[in-house]
Amino acid sequence: MLARVANNLFWMGRYIERSEHIARFMNVNYFSSLDAPNTLSQSRQFVLKSMLFMVGRPVSNDELILNEEQVIYDLGLNSDKPYSILNNIKAIRENANSARDLISTELYEAINKFYHFILNYESDVLVKRGLYDFTVNVTESSSILRNKIRGTLLHDQVYAIIMLGINIERATQIIRIINTKYNDALNAQGSYGNKIAHSSEWSTLLKCAEAYDMMRRLYKKTPASVTTLEFLVLNADCPRSVMNSLNQICSHVQVLDQSKYPVKNSTSCLVGKLRSKFSFMQVEEIEKDIKGFIDQILDDLFKISERMEQEFFNY
Amino acid sequence: MKPNTEHQIFSSYNKKDGFFDEVFNSNGDAKSIYKKLFDLYGDHSVAEYVQLNNKAKASFFNQGITFQVYGEKEAKEKIFPFDLFPRIIDADEWNTIEAGSIQRSRALNLFLWDVYHDKKIIKDKIVPLELLSSSSNYLHQMIGVDPPNGIYNHVSGIDIIKHADGNYYVLEDNIRCPSGVSYVICNRTALKRALFGVFNHYQAHTVTNYAENLMEILESVKPQGVDIPTCVVITPGMYNSAYYEHSYLAKAMGVELVEGRDLFVENDFVYMKTINGPKKVDVIYRRIDDLFIDPLEFNPDSTLGLPGLFSAYRKGNVCLANAPGTGVADDKAIYTYMPEIIKYYLDEEPILSNVKTYHCSRQNELKYVLENVDKLVVKPVDEAGGYGISIGNKLTKNEIEEVKKRILKDPRKYVAQPILSLSVHPTYIEDKNSFEQRHIDLRTFTLLGKDKEFVLKGGLTRVALQEGNLIVNSSQGGGSKDTWVLKK
Repeated sequence: MLARVANNLFWMGRYIERSEHIARFMNVNYFSSLDAPNTLSQSRQFVLKSMLFMVGRPVSNDELILNEEQVIYDLGLNSDKPYSILNNIKAIRENANSARDLISTELYEAINKFYHFILNYESDVLVKRGLYDFTVNVTESSSILRNKIRGTLLHDQVYAIIMLGINIERATQIIRIINTKYNDALNAQGSYGNKIAHSSEWSTLLKCAEAYDMMRRLYKKTPASVTTLEFLVLNADCPRSVMNSLNQICSHVQVLDQSKYPVKNSTSCLVGKLRSKFSFMQVEEIEKDIKGFIDQILDDLFKISERMEQEFFNY
Repeated sequence: MKPNTEHQIFSSYNKKDGFFDEVFNSNGDAKSIYKKLFDLYGDHSVAEYVQLNNKAKASFFNQGITFQVYGEKEAKEKIFPFDLFPRIIDADEWNTIEAGSIQRSRALNLFLWDVYHDKKIIKDKIVPLELLSSSSNYLHQMIGVDPPNGIYNHVSGIDIIKHADGNYYVLEDNIRCPSGVSYVICNRTALKRALFGVFNHYQAHTVTNYAENLMEILESVKPQGVDIPTCVVITPGMYNSAYYEHSYLAKAMGVELVEGRDLFVENDFVYMKTINGPKKVDVIYRRIDDLFIDPLEFNPDSTLGLPGLFSAYRKGNVCLANAPGTGVADDKAIYTYMPEIIKYYLDEEPILSNVKTYHCSRQNELKYVLENVDKLVVKPVDEAGGYGISIGNKLTKNEIEEVKKRILKDPRKYVAQPILSLSVHPTYIEDKNSFEQRHIDLRTFTLLGKDKEFVLKGGLTRVALQEGNLIVNSSQGGGSKDTWVLKK
């Protein structure tokens, strides 16, 4: 496979995952806030700021009053905002275009349908009454894309590269969502015991990762900070957990790197080290310094991505 | 005359005389070959047909077979207009087209070899030397170069029309980078999706075997000493208007679609940059024009091509399909000599007729052209896509004078042909919600390899969508139809 094209496919995978997480985050936060247990969590401003925080555009000015329609438009369809879902999907298609000969017709058609759906979505409808329909469509279309990737492509190097993009992005987005909701929990504290640990924002966090029901099944109690973090970061059986993503990254990297022993500082070496670290990590270590943990893991993931670029995409 | 039908969607079909109507005979009845199809289509109400048409359009849209229209804030994508009513060619007529296309491709290949080697045809005074010496497509770099297995025009696109007399004529040969084959395949896909019941009534040849045949052709011309060749398709990139076709062909053949920047040359061998390091490339189906393939040899400003490619080619280390310099043979001035070229190299009579062509570089013909601009189609010899063509009976007096001036300025650049009455075919016109008569032509795709020849049984029927228009090129707003070649 051409190095240039591999790079594009890697980013196609990342953008697919990214658009889905942004859409889900918008959907879950907006709708769960409508009947949230406390006034702050119900506040529009609180939710809008949380959305902007998640896409990396935190609002530092507490006094600033955001316009709801504008924020929803910016995140959804504003072509001038690099973080908008529209731009993410454009990037998916652009990257797919350059690799059209390598991916299946079925995958390409699904991408194209998705693209046209977004392109033709009326911004007026989105900001006034379409948020649910729009975000659900984005998450469903992303699922279709992943299904087409898994179900129609050869599980070879092309597949491994796309899946690397998806999983690196998934881990990154889950961390970003944790970061955002942790930040929200600090602001909207619960009403008993350790107020941060029992904030309702942890439930919202799980819902953002579509992990709420399974977490309840496993723990059989109301989500709190420890259990939520343990489930979303360290539980390898949770499909969107960081641990699960790292396991996937490890196995996909091995398809690309066929040397018998990992070369010093190679991608597979970095990935292996990170996975080992997580395999033996205790949730208490994370909870002790959530902020520090988040910074560290984002930095680690960035380094892996950077290393991949040098090793495989250098052209 | 109206066709003899109560079918609502043909209600505004106005059959004008003087043209060959592919579907209706002189009484206005559907010809036997079309009878079933005509009834199947006619059974639809207008509303049903509109729905089908929309479905077909959606199919194109979702397949991403679109071109971009710029100028607005967002580049809008439009689909290449596609007509759901197919064209049918029966087995006997097709045999003539197929044999004629192969004959022309073979003759052109021998001609190309000759003009870059011994130039016997010139020495024997069959083709005048000026025609070569004045052709901008003649590449002196190709003189004496032996392309692998002696093939120049691996892929030819021959444009054919049916005249009022019911005979086929060749309009031109395209042997540089002829486009359109992907539309043939997409048209078929879209038609099958929208009207899946229709195919049960006809036995049409498949068109999906083009890529496998192209692959065989490419592999057959591998450089000496290569066992299993690595073939690639090279494209100028995803913003090129034919990018869809390039990616389609690469995908259908299962080979890499590369750009110049994905390749490099070392010791006169070509390599591509893959995630596992360099990989040698043996055969390149190139969809980049001659002058852009190698900045060291041709246009030094080209960023599309690959420095050193031509040197690797000259050494026989890589095969280029089509060979550089083939453009000299699809020049419209050379076209006028095709009957002589076929006779000279193959000692055969041409199977497909040429259109009577006047070449303005010949004094007496120039005189005739200047006196009859209003009755002729005047074409520049070296333009593609229907650009620069003037059709005499559509011109004002002033325009006629301008055309004359243009010809006189550079007579070598122009040829003229009688205004042909291209055959017509019922075509669904969206604004009118019914079928109307429109002019069509046919592009066939012929492949030439080592010990192998192939003509795609189908081809691209192009439709001029505006009433009375004779120019069918897509760059001039033309559309296309699925083309069925029937089994015997």
